[in-house]
Amino acid sequence: MTWVFPALGVLVAVLTSISRGSARRYLYASGLGLLVLFFAFPFSSALGYLSREAVHPTPAGLLPSAPMLGAILAVAVLTLTPWPRRLHGWLGGLGGLAVLAAIFSWLSRPVFLARVVPLPGVMEGAVALGLAALFFLALRGRGALLALVAAVLVGGGSYALLAGHAGHTYFPRIAGYYKLLTPVSAQETRELIERYNAGLEKANALRAEIGLKKLDPIRSLADLEGGLPKDLAREGVRLVRPASLRYGTLAALFLAGLLLASGFFLARKPELAEEGDLSGGLVAAGVFAVLVPSFYATEFSLAKLVKGWPFFVNFLDRAWPPRLADPAHNVFPLQEVASQMALTVEIALVGTFLAMLFAVPTSFLAARNLTRGSAFTRAVFTLTRAFYNIDRGVDTLILALVFVAAVGLGPFAGVLAMAIHSIADLGKLYSEAIENVEKGPIEALEAVGASGTNVVRWAILPQVLPLFVAYTLYRFEINFRVSIVLGFVGAGGIGFFIQNAMASGMYDQMIIGIIAIVLVVNLIDFGSSWLRSKLV
Amino acid sequence: MIEAKGLGVVFPNGTEALRDINVTIDDGEFVAVIGLSGAGKSTFLRTLNGLVKPTRGTVRVGGVDVGELSGRALQRFRRTVGFIFQQFNLVTRLTALDNVLHGRLGYLPTWRGLLGLYGERDYELAAGYLEEVGLAGKEHVRVDNLSGGQQQRVAIARAMAQQPQLVLADEPMASLDPRLSDVILGLLKDYNEAHGVTVLVNIHVLELARRYARRVLAFNQGRLVFDGPAENLTDELAERIYAGSLEAL
Repeated sequence: MTWVFPALGVLVAVLTSISRGSARRYLYASGLGLLVLFFAFPFSSALGYLSREAVHPTPAGLLPSAPMLGAILAVAVLTLTPWPRRLHGWLGGLGGLAVLAAIFSWLSRPVFLARVVPLPGVMEGAVALGLAALFFLALRGRGALLALVAAVLVGGGSYALLAGHAGHTYFPRIAGYYKLLTPVSAQETRELIERYNAGLEKANALRAEIGLKKLDPIRSLADLEGGLPKDLAREGVRLVRPASLRYGTLAALFLAGLLLASGFFLARKPELAEEGDLSGGLVAAGVFAVLVPSFYATEFSLAKLVKGWPFFVNFLDRAWPPRLADPAHNVFPLQEVASQMALTVEIALVGTFLAMLFAVPTSFLAARNLTRGSAFTRAVFTLTRAFYNIDRGVDTLILALVFVAAVGLGPFAGVLAMAIHSIADLGKLYSEAIENVEKGPIEALEAVGASGTNVVRWAILPQVLPLFVAYTLYRFEINFRVSIVLGFVGAGGIGFFIQNAMASGMYDQMIIGIIAIVLVVNLIDFGSSWLRSKLV
Repeated sequence: MIEAKGLGVVFPNGTEALRDINVTIDDGEFVAVIGLSGAGKSTFLRTLNGLVKPTRGTVRVGGVDVGELSGRALQRFRRTVGFIFQQFNLVTRLTALDNVLHGRLGYLPTWRGLLGLYGERDYELAAGYLEEVGLAGKEHVRVDNLSGGQQQRVAIARAMAQQPQLVLADEPMASLDPRLSDVILGLLKDYNEAHGVTVLVNIHVLELARRYARRVLAFNQGRLVFDGPAENLTDELAERIYAGSLEAL
């Protein structure tokens, strides 16, 4: 299946070439992608005795054992260099071939032993560098020197913290996170195995006494596919299995295919290259470098989906036809869905209304153009904005969990959670509306000698009122969808019904709830957007 | 009476908008202020009602040093000065009558203003001035449903409703169809003659200034370069006023 990944890369390049897009963009993208991958993506696995002793080294970490992987770095640097277009194309194409050759020769290597050498400070340094870069970019607008000083202070400080005692206490895995795998010579490998085999007789005698299975002597490294014996692992060696694919390997295969094909396309039609190729390619590589590990971390797997398909079909089978009512057993799901749906809408109504009540007055304090007057009003502005930002960060569901604990199960907890969370969202929208009012009427009302509050009342309020109503309606739409989910944490409504039906396996009742949600969500969205279009 | 002495304005960004302006305008005059955009005529008008603070010299209106005013006193002064903007600056979502009533806000206690509790007399004045500008019957029409010319007339009625001692009009025709210029300037001129209120109008069309104003002030790069009867403003002189500014641009 490994060929699928380079083929995918080639496909992307071919599609781009057919649509007469620039292939050079992909040269830069795969160059940077390979660079990131070389230093940061796991490329192989090296087993120890316990599963947590396994190491997933990057190509850079494998370099002492497998110098041919250096080709990835060389090609990456070569591809990122701005050569003349045609030459760039040929170099890219040949580079893609070289990377593919290096990967496949690596994959075909038999298993071997390697010694783990943790590199201290690499991960700490990477985090500190990242923070420093972030501060530099954020403060660059206020002068290069200030930004540089801040970056050095932040970077140095965070490195000292992370690499010091505190960092190693709070983040135990950070110390020596980055590992090199240095090769164990054939001679030493033999000695290690012989030593192990020699001690085996004694160990087996002990094991027999407590009824454990006898251990076999190691005849070749291939015997160790499942993992190393404890004694070998304790010596700091790991069994490297080149054939085991990690996501870094797959990414490298894809990028090599992309590089190969787009390199040759560039060489053939260099005139298609564009000005923005470098920046476009760098952005694409950035997205790639974030997406690939994320797919891995979320355990994305088409195989699992295929395997799980029958369960899904089974669910649908049991859910259809919906059981609208079952008078014999005194069960009336449709009636129940109707009342719970009404409750869900009511939670959203009350929650949104309460939020509006608090958001309207506070939004005036959070509008920059109304609070420029004095140090006091500026402080009020900052405080209100800070409250909004914190409040926005705490999701309705989390608040609902807290309120369920405080005021008990039921819709009241949901209403409170929704109201409190929505204040921030509404307040922020309102205050932005206030900041964007036309300045003319304000000036005019100041010119007639109206007092500050009267200027707000007559110049600002008439302008923002329709927007306030529109934003409130919009928030109500969102809150309705939120209140569906609120039921799942015990805060009442249709979600509660669905969870109960699901837990008791009554899929034919649950499906009524789902259909009702689809209908009502669309109805409310339609109604509210119609109303909003009338307003603005 | 308006008296500017050594009046200068420098904006925070360093632009020198007005330099050493010395001028006296008697009550009841109708004065046209001319000059290209950026010449300082807008800034000059705005110093007269305190929308812009002088950074040098003084400007007195009716004996009051405008630059010294702030807070409540400034509001009390401003209610006696009507200001008409190029962009009308009406609250377009409110009716014509509501907008004219805004001219009365300066005379109401804040709480009554907040609640919109205008007095009987305020309503009478507002309706009366709307009629004076020819918009009788349009009282309850929302301003965004009025034409540009009608909107500017609402703005003029708003200024009249202040019962001001002085009306300042900052290029009141610039956003309108040129044919409406006579309507707007005619209204201001009639008002000036009927009520004896001083009117200052910024105009960049020279011909209109000559036709309506007896006295003309000309600005060029922040300096007052001409002050005199409209007849004295020869073509040659006018050309210099405008050409100099063009070079500066």
